[in-house]
Amino acid sequence: MKILVVDDTEAILLLISRFVEALGHRAILARNGLDAIEQCRLEQPDLVLMDVMMPIMTGPEAAIIIKAESGERWVPIVFVTGIGEENALADAIERGADDYINKPVNFRVLEAKLKAFGRTLELNRKVREQSERLADYYENAEEEKRVVRHLMEQLVNSERLSDPQLQYLLSPAESLSGDLIASARTPGQALHVMLADGIGHGLTAALNVLPLTQPFYSMTEKGYAISDILLEMNDKVRQVLPVGRFVCVTLISIDETTGCIEIWNGGMPMVYLVNEHGDVVSECRSKNLPLGIIPSHSMDFSPERFYSNGTGFVVACSDGLIEARNKQGEEFGIERLLQLLKEKSNLKPIEYFQETFLNFLQQEKHHDDVSLVLANFGANPNRDLKINHHSSEDISQLLTADFATGNQSTWRYNLVLTAKELRYVNTIPFMMTFVKEIKSLASSQSDVFLILTELFVNAIDHGLLGMDSHIKMNPDGMEYYLIERVRRLAELEEGRIEIDLMGVLLRGHEILRIRVKDSGQGFDWSRSLQKSDAVDPVPTFTFGRGISLVKALALRVNYIGIGNEVEVYYFPQES
Amino acid sequence: MTPTVQIEGNVGRVILSGQFDFSAHREFRQVCESLIANADIKEVLVDFQNVNYLDSSALGMLLLLKEKISAASKNLALVNCRDTVKQVLEIACFGKIFTIR
Repeated sequence: MKILVVDDTEAILLLISRFVEALGHRAILARNGLDAIEQCRLEQPDLVLMDVMMPIMTGPEAAIIIKAESGERWVPIVFVTGIGEENALADAIERGADDYINKPVNFRVLEAKLKAFGRTLELNRKVREQSERLADYYENAEEEKRVVRHLMEQLVNSERLSDPQLQYLLSPAESLSGDLIASARTPGQALHVMLADGIGHGLTAALNVLPLTQPFYSMTEKGYAISDILLEMNDKVRQVLPVGRFVCVTLISIDETTGCIEIWNGGMPMVYLVNEHGDVVSECRSKNLPLGIIPSHSMDFSPERFYSNGTGFVVACSDGLIEARNKQGEEFGIERLLQLLKEKSNLKPIEYFQETFLNFLQQEKHHDDVSLVLANFGANPNRDLKINHHSSEDISQLLTADFATGNQSTWRYNLVLTAKELRYVNTIPFMMTFVKEIKSLASSQSDVFLILTELFVNAIDHGLLGMDSHIKMNPDGMEYYLIERVRRLAELEEGRIEIDLMGVLLRGHEILRIRVKDSGQGFDWSRSLQKSDAVDPVPTFTFGRGISLVKALALRVNYIGIGNEVEVYYFPQES
Repeated sequence: MTPTVQIEGNVGRVILSGQFDFSAHREFRQVCESLIANADIKEVLVDFQNVNYLDSSALGMLLLLKEKISAASKNLALVNCRDTVKQVLEIACFGKIFTIR
């Protein structure tokens, strides 16, 4: 130890310091209180052995200042006292001194006291070290949380969450949420909503859900179906997270143009479809393992499909909401949620829920992240189609079948797929990656996606697979149609589809020509054209919408030859 | 929660009680590792008889256990799953990858 010895009597100063040195410590000398304070500042001793009565400044006066200046650091002060100094001593001990030893100094006692202080100092040092480490840990943890929170805010595009079709609430149990809500729209304007729950809560849970965001946004933007997105997400989670970590996910797709709602539930609580009165019309329970547990080829990513009549909500929540408890230990439960959706309120449903939920909790904290999504459906069954202003008669008259050959073309993209590739290539999202790059189509991606999808689906379904659209009109027909389509596609041995995109200059504008040709039988398009120009007698939007949609968007639609080839001219929207 | 272990022949039974969540992590791992290291044990049963709640981190621990048990070529089963436990396992569809009795 480094020991400061303070005494105004030179002989005692020398005697004590020699003894201290003989015990293996280092002695620093001071001759009065002021001198002691100065030495303390310079040398930072571990312990002070100090006389009480000294000139210039007494021991007890110096002790107060030394204690104040050493702050958090504990510097024991031991007074060396003579007879008759008891009062001053008691005072000094009361004000922070630690011990005393009588004059004349008994060196055996001094040795024992120094040893005792040595032990306490060691303990003190350890405690301080640990609490410093703890403070460092705490600071690091806070910093890490801050970074992850920033990362999450960047990765979860909150702008896109403010979709008029979507209401949501996310209330984390800690400063970081392990629940994640994301939404985005496909080029065809279908709404994709993801609700994910990483295991646990706080930092590690938040890290678990992060890998989901990138595939969700980028694939939705390209128009991939939710089963494709799920496959990618499962691969991603398995790739980046350690064993024992997984993510429960509900993925919802609401396509208002077809009235089709697709839901996939892996490990999340039941998802409900409720009508505008709040009555439950359908349920979608978890039939799948959460993401990240088993390889994608062992998973079934096909969603459950629902077709909406009228309007309502898809209701999805995390288990943190159902299991939240109030002071009495009562669970909030799913019934309470479903009940409040039935009740009339002036508030928006999500706000009404929030109010009810807070009232229920009575300031009790929920121990897990709470999230709720209410996604509207059926409010806008007929999407407003922007009819092109430029489709005046004289322009569309120019667009004959051989128009493009006589005019200056700019870029061109030609894709041929045979039965083998058609079985697994996700053609239109793949082509959209290219379309995204074409500047003149920047504001028209949604239209191009819709036109391409309709033409391509027609070419496959009717050209190659020989599907009959009338099946869709039966009850459950749509489901049957889709299953049958998947079966026939898997068995498809022969056939090819050619898709040709080309930019053509027309009076200074770049317009888009799309040709889709299949190797099928074709059809009598002269008859079909007459029919579809008339008002569609079938009011359902599951049937016959496709080509009329294309016609509404395009400048012109031409069938060519035996009807296995269709040509569409499209005037891009101004950016 | 302190898990207890019963060994009958070549079957090791881990009996859990109360809340099975992340706070049980260390004890659960220690108990399971001792059973995995025991060459006489061919099957490990995780007994939920006295468990009234389990959360998602418990599911994570079960996945880890499954991984270690199959690496040691032993069998694993989750037994006496009732009420909440059964519900949580059902929602997560753990029946697809675990033997649940």
